[in-house]
Amino acid sequence: MKNIQVRVNGHPVAREIPDHRLLVDFLRYDLGLTGTKEGCSVGVCGACTVLLNGQPVSSCLALAVMADGGEVTTIEGLAEGDRLHPLQQAFIDYGGFQCGVCTPGQIMASKALLDANPHPTPAQIKEWMMGNLCRCTGYYKIIEAIQAAAAEKTEP
Amino acid sequence: MEGPRSIGQSAGHVEGPAKVTGRARYSADITLPGMLWGRALRSSFPHARIVSIDLSAARRVPGVHAVISGADLPEVRIGRFLRDIPVLARDRVRFIGEKVVAVAAETPDAADEALSLVDVEYEELPAVFDPIEAMAPDAPLIHEHPERYEHPPIPPIGGESRYHPFANVCSQSIYRRGDLAQGMATAERIFEHTFVVPPVHQGYIEPHACAAAIGPDGKIDIWISNKTPFIARRQLAAAFGVPEERVRVNPTSIGGDFGGKGSLMDSALCYFLARASRRPVRMVMNYTEELTAGNPRHSGVISLRTGVTRDGTIIAHQAKLIFNCGAYGAFIPLHFLHGSVHSAAGPYRIPHIEIESLRVYTNTVPRGHFRSPGAPQTTFAVESHMDMIAGELGMDPLEFRLRNVLVEGDESAMGERFHHIRCGETLTAAADAAKWNSPKPPNVGRGIGIYERAPGAFGTSGATLSLDRDGKLILITGAADTGTGSFTVLAQVVAEELQAPLADVIVCQGDTDTAEWEEGAGGSRLTHMAGRATLIAASEMKRALIELAARHFNCTSEQVQMRARRFIASDGRELDWKSLVAWAAEHEALPLTRSGSYVAAGHPDVTCYVAQVAEVEVDRETGQVRVRRMVSAHDVGTVINPLTHQGQIEGGLVQGLGQAMSEHLLLRDGAVTTAHLGDYKLPTAMDIPELTTVLVESQTGPGPFAGKSIGELSNVPPPAAIANAVFDAVGVRLTDLPITAEKIYTALRAMEKRN
Repeated sequence: MKNIQVRVNGHPVAREIPDHRLLVDFLRYDLGLTGTKEGCSVGVCGACTVLLNGQPVSSCLALAVMADGGEVTTIEGLAEGDRLHPLQQAFIDYGGFQCGVCTPGQIMASKALLDANPHPTPAQIKEWMMGNLCRCTGYYKIIEAIQAAAAEKTEP
Repeated sequence: MEGPRSIGQSAGHVEGPAKVTGRARYSADITLPGMLWGRALRSSFPHARIVSIDLSAARRVPGVHAVISGADLPEVRIGRFLRDIPVLARDRVRFIGEKVVAVAAETPDAADEALSLVDVEYEELPAVFDPIEAMAPDAPLIHEHPERYEHPPIPPIGGESRYHPFANVCSQSIYRRGDLAQGMATAERIFEHTFVVPPVHQGYIEPHACAAAIGPDGKIDIWISNKTPFIARRQLAAAFGVPEERVRVNPTSIGGDFGGKGSLMDSALCYFLARASRRPVRMVMNYTEELTAGNPRHSGVISLRTGVTRDGTIIAHQAKLIFNCGAYGAFIPLHFLHGSVHSAAGPYRIPHIEIESLRVYTNTVPRGHFRSPGAPQTTFAVESHMDMIAGELGMDPLEFRLRNVLVEGDESAMGERFHHIRCGETLTAAADAAKWNSPKPPNVGRGIGIYERAPGAFGTSGATLSLDRDGKLILITGAADTGTGSFTVLAQVVAEELQAPLADVIVCQGDTDTAEWEEGAGGSRLTHMAGRATLIAASEMKRALIELAARHFNCTSEQVQMRARRFIASDGRELDWKSLVAWAAEHEALPLTRSGSYVAAGHPDVTCYVAQVAEVEVDRETGQVRVRRMVSAHDVGTVINPLTHQGQIEGGLVQGLGQAMSEHLLLRDGAVTTAHLGDYKLPTAMDIPELTTVLVESQTGPGPFAGKSIGELSNVPPPAAIANAVFDAVGVRLTDLPITAEKIYTALRAMEKRN
């Protein structure tokens, strides 16, 4: 067991957890932040993507203790009250999701992309987002949504 | 114009804000006080007798509240139609991954530790993995008494059908029309080809999950990633031996379905764990369990024999489809693989036909339903076969198809009489958009594929619509939205009929206690059937509002009209929506509720066609295929929501691309070896081709506002279109999927040697 202190979506959290607790389980089941989804459990599908100190990580492969002293941003931390993040709004307006289960990971991964590269080309978007699988959309509208958010367009 | 139009407008999903903020609740997100983790121990043998099971050490693990085996359960079998799979194996296991023991514990770690201490002694039995070998006289018998398995009466579709006609055959359907022997005798050329299709997984990103809780009054609450909650309730009640009203299936978001989320999967077992532990239990499959023990698409061997005249007219066609259904037939909602029989003749005019479709038991993972079940496999075969015949006759594949496809007035090979047949137009639209006859660079080829599927018209749908005191319209549906945008489409139907802004319509999925009966999603029925039920409820609401306005005006309802959200009396008095709502609230008339129920009037008399052209480039040195471009042309009705409609086309097409190019649930000695998503290759954002969509529109659909269906079309032709394009590019004909660089490389080297 280990005591960890993490800032999650801006709020300080202190918990005693087993050393082997995965970050995804810590978020979902210790903190109740079930917006982060677990898909493949082997770091391939990207559904569990969160930002750890600003970098995208697969929370199904990261241990919660790795976040000790750090900052985690999940999908629950993007909107300000009822005001959606431009990426969130664009994913709705452009049809960037259907079932929605990969969407938290898609949005967190694309936030990391736009943080690093505010105006990516479609080719750069595809390359960055290839670690986030989506079975519903065929990716076309995800790419459009990210482009629109980058251009700060909110209506198609 | 009567107020803002909703039909035909692109609208983002109404549940969008919940899904992009993480607030949407999926089954794995359900947490209840005192909830335990359920886990299952699965068989590591493909076929074995269970000699003994020792649970004593597992039961001593701290934090473990229940450990159960088949002997602890009532002797029931479950299934979507045929009930042949036990909740836990009893005396025998029939595939690697079959559940044998289950535990409920306070933590996943305790559950796993307990499972590791379970001692099962097996006596291995001879196993069979191939459907053709399984039909051999000396094959191991997989089910000793299949005649004891229960199922509802077999409906009169799919030709003559039987369960368990002979050893290891789960079901057999034979469809005949005309006189095959006579047709073949008149044919001038007869072509025969055989195709092999592997199993593929639905690939939804949410693995199956469920939760069960038993209330103090005995009420059983279930949360389950299932697209048909009312059907799930019926199956669960039968499995538990309780009346249906004791079970409540609660709404959850569904993380992708594609046909795979229609079974009970772990939910019956979850209840038995909750009963044994007296605590709520959740079970969440991991993705390895999904791939190894889910319900993937049927694999099979498809043999086609077609007789034609010298000028390329099809006279007779015979199809024998041998599908591997795995160890159990429980995972499909019908007695046969519907799309296999239906698409074995393609959209062609064929007077003499015989189709035999078999589902054969083997000691492998049970197969289930996956987006247009049976059709992609069969269409890959039929549409490749058509190209091969055209090639032998020296005809252009497009010309050959145009000569043989149904035209207005024809009866389909299945005996359907459709109106507004747009098969040829759709083919031509795809070919034109793809510039079919334009010159191609070396090693670039084009291929075409076509598929037909009618909108779903079965079961009953219901809807309840209320007007609340704020003037909002609350629609309660019993249908789950599997991600297709059905909630949004239903909201648009209400908004259109009542001339309301879409934002004033709130869609709630009711649980099975409160919503009207709803057959649920599947078979491309929801927009049609639930849409119709919703339209009835909305029309009734409109009538009720007009009556209210008449009361207000002190006139008859015939003297009131609703226009642009205003109620206008024949003497010129007017009342807006808000004022009517306020007046109604004052006069105790709110909330006002109306419901609608819709039963299909029979098989629809219109259908939908999709024609696709793939353009590929083949690297002759490596065999690598790049799909440069796809054209998807669709014969559609009124498009209710262009955004979500296009989403169905794009998502389906990329799913078909995966089946064509990279997906193969590999099995060795009955074990799935592509057991995680690193090995099982779903398409990524890097794999998608340039896409051109063409809509051939007409207002002819059976759905509300003349809509048709779109969900199960674009995923079907890609394997055939791409295989045909590869042949066009480099002359390599692949008759098995997927189309890998290795296969093409090998074929190209063999061709070089021959030359």
